[in-house]
Amino acid sequence: MEILRAFAIGALFGIGLYQLLRRNVIRVAIGLVILSNAVNLFLLSVGAYDGIVEAYAKAVGQRSDALPQALILTAIVISMGGFSFMLALLYVIAVRYRTGDSDEVRGLSH
Amino acid sequence: MFTPTLTLAIAWIACAAGSIVALALAILPAARRLPAPLLGWMLAIAPATAFVALAAQLPRLFAGEVLTWRVEWLPALGVSFGLYLDGLSALFGLIVTGIGGLVLIYAGYYFAPTHHHTPVHASIANPQSPNPESQIQNPKSNDARFFVYTLLFMTSMLGVVLAGDAITLFVFWEGTSVTSFLLIAYKTKDEEARKGAFKALFITGGGGIALLAGLLIVSAISGGADWATIFRSGAALRDSPWYPVMLGLIAFGAFTKSAQAPFHFWLPTAMSAPTPASAYLHSATMVKAGVYILARMHPALGNTDLWFWLLVITGAATMVMGAIIGLRQVDLKAVLAYSTISQLGVLVMLIGEEATAAFKALVIGVLAHALYKGALFMIVGVVDHATGTRDLRRLGRIWRAMPLTFAVCSVAALSMAGLPPLFGFLAKEALLAAEIEAVLPAIMRVILPAATVLTGAFILAQAGTLALDTFVTPAGAGFFKTVVDLPLTGEGRDDPEDVETIDRSKPAHAHIEQTLAAHDPPLAMLIGPAVLAALSVIITVFQPQMFTDLLAGAASAAYGAKVKVSLDLFHGINLPLILSAIAIVFGVGVFVLRSPIRSVNGLPALSMNRVYERALSAIDRLAALATRTQGGRIRVYLSVILVALFGMIALLGNLSQLFAGLPLARLGEHFVKDLLDPMALLRAFSLLLAVAAAFVSVMMRRDLLAIIALGASGLAVAVLIALEPSPDVALVQVVVDLLSTVILILALSHLPGAQLSRAEALNHTDRAAAARNALLAFIGGAIVTVMCLYAFASRPRESVVTPYYEQNAKPLTGAADIVGAIVVDFRGFDTLIEITVFSMAGIGVFTLLRKALTRREAQRALPNGESPARQGLDAFRASPFTHALTYAALPLAFVLASVQMIHGHDEPGDGFTAGVTLSLAVGFWYVIFGYEVAKQRLRALRPGLLIGLGLLTVIAGSIAPAFLGGTFFSPFDFGAALGLPLPAGFYLSTSFLFELAICLAVLGAALFIIDTLGHPEGELE
Repeated sequence: MEILRAFAIGALFGIGLYQLLRRNVIRVAIGLVILSNAVNLFLLSVGAYDGIVEAYAKAVGQRSDALPQALILTAIVISMGGFSFMLALLYVIAVRYRTGDSDEVRGLSH
Repeated sequence: MFTPTLTLAIAWIACAAGSIVALALAILPAARRLPAPLLGWMLAIAPATAFVALAAQLPRLFAGEVLTWRVEWLPALGVSFGLYLDGLSALFGLIVTGIGGLVLIYAGYYFAPTHHHTPVHASIANPQSPNPESQIQNPKSNDARFFVYTLLFMTSMLGVVLAGDAITLFVFWEGTSVTSFLLIAYKTKDEEARKGAFKALFITGGGGIALLAGLLIVSAISGGADWATIFRSGAALRDSPWYPVMLGLIAFGAFTKSAQAPFHFWLPTAMSAPTPASAYLHSATMVKAGVYILARMHPALGNTDLWFWLLVITGAATMVMGAIIGLRQVDLKAVLAYSTISQLGVLVMLIGEEATAAFKALVIGVLAHALYKGALFMIVGVVDHATGTRDLRRLGRIWRAMPLTFAVCSVAALSMAGLPPLFGFLAKEALLAAEIEAVLPAIMRVILPAATVLTGAFILAQAGTLALDTFVTPAGAGFFKTVVDLPLTGEGRDDPEDVETIDRSKPAHAHIEQTLAAHDPPLAMLIGPAVLAALSVIITVFQPQMFTDLLAGAASAAYGAKVKVSLDLFHGINLPLILSAIAIVFGVGVFVLRSPIRSVNGLPALSMNRVYERALSAIDRLAALATRTQGGRIRVYLSVILVALFGMIALLGNLSQLFAGLPLARLGEHFVKDLLDPMALLRAFSLLLAVAAAFVSVMMRRDLLAIIALGASGLAVAVLIALEPSPDVALVQVVVDLLSTVILILALSHLPGAQLSRAEALNHTDRAAAARNALLAFIGGAIVTVMCLYAFASRPRESVVTPYYEQNAKPLTGAADIVGAIVVDFRGFDTLIEITVFSMAGIGVFTLLRKALTRREAQRALPNGESPARQGLDAFRASPFTHALTYAALPLAFVLASVQMIHGHDEPGDGFTAGVTLSLAVGFWYVIFGYEVAKQRLRALRPGLLIGLGLLTVIAGSIAPAFLGGTFFSPFDFGAALGLPLPAGFYLSTSFLFELAICLAVLGAALFIIDTLGHPEGELE
């Protein structure tokens, strides 16, 4: 299953990059979410144990690896915070430059 | 009382303290009313103290001792702050502090507003005179800053000459450049002054960097930065292949600082500094810093052919050039500036010559020049004050009105002219004697004396001009045209190196009136020039032993071996005396013929000023070219970054080996085995769904559909997480994915509709760009795939950390949920920071949209009266059924959240999920009921309060155990400790408090986000 997973993560990453490179700022925001999904999936997949049961003390059998889970739990929440902030920035940009096209946001060249 | 080395430190500390006092006086309002002369006298205490402290050490130095003092500065880098006093440092140190004290006293009167009275004509004729008096006439201008700059300079300059190592020297060297810049631009409103200051900083600052590089190379080869180490490794330095580089760099630093050709051109424009500063910095001290560093490095770097030719040629050229151009000047300060350049050339040339006689001439030259030039600059300031002009063509016949000033000026000018029995005569004798030394190449024994005689003649003529044309002859005597006929521009002044400090718009007769009103300044103002002029006589006439020893000590230190110095004027009829006589006769001739000489227009066309200006504009053009590559398109920047990254991977990574080593076979085996697992098919399906949904988000033309596809992709990821199995994370992923989708849709509803459809159309128009992006994305995805393949095949199958958590979660934290235990207990501090960051993001969104964006800007977004895509969320029409569900959602969410928090440490769910669940319910309200209604009904939920409560709860909850027998952040069951009758399974513990706090903070931040993004358009505050 890892081989499939590797290709899926690579595909998600590529799709995220493609979205980031587009001119429409909404698509850029979407790309960011896809990228963070890909990274979270990667972290989850490199855990040491292929679990049969969830990581609870009372569970019997091979538990899944708790460590990467705890890490991505934090990562998911943080990336939502960052994502919201980025949306707010995009909104301000859209208002200031009167556009949703990142090519028209050219403060650097003036 | 003090140890000698400590006294050395005291000398420098006295000046540093003086600058701090000056700064305090400049800032304190009470002190600003102090009269300037009092200020001058008070602050002169600092250099006087330093002078005495240095002078007290002279007997030790004469006995051959060298004093050092050092404190560690950056011990890890081997850098220390060191002071060093030998004969050379002592000579320069005494000049710096001695003349410094006199200049401060003089400056007090220079800046005093009272004694100058302006004739009526002049002020009527030109009320906006750019003359220095405009500063002085304004009693409100705070000239305390002059004293601040000057004392800071003095501290730096004393630091340069007392520095015990290369690093300390460089730091103070830069200090002198900066303070010099401040003084040149002292008249901040004068554009020429600002340009001149920048020019000086540009040239000397560039030299400073070269000097640093040179000194660092020297230190690296010597194995230490202090002088003793450097002197010891002189042979190694001279034999090093780096020798030309280090000598070139150090010489460049020295030449720029000491205004050697072709870097001399900053000095004449530096004359826009107040005259006391010109006297001090740009004549007596700072410009000699380059001479000092060359003399200092001579024992280590000298005695090579390169040293000889580099210094002698540069110095001789500078000497002749300064003397000739100087005579053409009409501004008194410009004349002095060029004669200073000439003398600096003499000094550099002497260091290059390297005979004992040369070093004798060097030290005599340094002291003689400092004495007479310092005096002359101060006299020029006095004349400028009394008459309101420094224009030689307008000055004349004021000796009767200013007899004392004239007397002092005459003595100093005689010394400058090199006439016996003054010190300047001795300097010239010594110079000529050094040039006929047998060690020099034969040709130089002819060229150098000839050049010196020529220079001596012109300098004599300049001295005559200074004394006679200013005080004795009628105005304009030395010039062909009479003063009234003076053109307003030009007259052989097309060379921009001439100083344009003279106001040409003022009618000439006004100056003549002023000239008649001239008078001697207060006696105290003449103290400085008089002392310096008197010393020029006393040293040669009485030949005090102390001066002989001082000069001999300095010359020996610079030469690196014993040098004898005698102050006898007469050594019998010898070649130097004859040459000197020739120079005097020739000089008198030049003075008599000064008018025709001045009108000869044969100066070389190449002006360094023009080179400098061209170089500056070239830099500007280069910068413009560089900024042109900045197109400002964000995606272009991102593409460049990606291409560079891919290029780096392709170059540095061994690609063929990388692909050959792909662990496909091993992973393939696993894959086949996994196919037998019934869950595997579900996993494969979820992966496919995640990728497919993400791909749909690319293809969808409408943004809204793309967002929904994104949500689907996120949910597929949640399923994958749940299959791990990892219920806690899956729950969080589900709620976060939903909330993200809601927020994105809220944001979408705020972007103006027309713009959005335009932006949407862009997605599919530019096919070339799409192909480029697709290629980049494909390469990026491929790299990540390869990385994943390697990572998955080689990941460890035994964890070091996880078993610890599994075994200790229950005993140490009481939590059955290991993931929950890690989040709120084992890594609790991490989580505290995390929710703080999340809260900040919420507050940041709120601040950006509510505070940073003004209403006006928000409305500007709709240029043609376009309406936003949807009017907030109010326009949404919902059925009563939906309303009922929405009403139910909130209490249900509360129950769910509570259960998740209470049982979070044993069952799936935690504070994050609880917080986001609640936020989702609230978001639902905003969507269904519209902003106004939701806001109205949920007004009890105040985001800021929730965030504050959450963070305070977690901090209080984690500190409390520290006082109850545990440590900061250790688990503690408050319920059990207080004996509260709680239902089974509910523990009022630190974990519960933490979960509650996370829930509150997340809810608060999410509310901020929903509230601001859900705000209807056009009603921004």
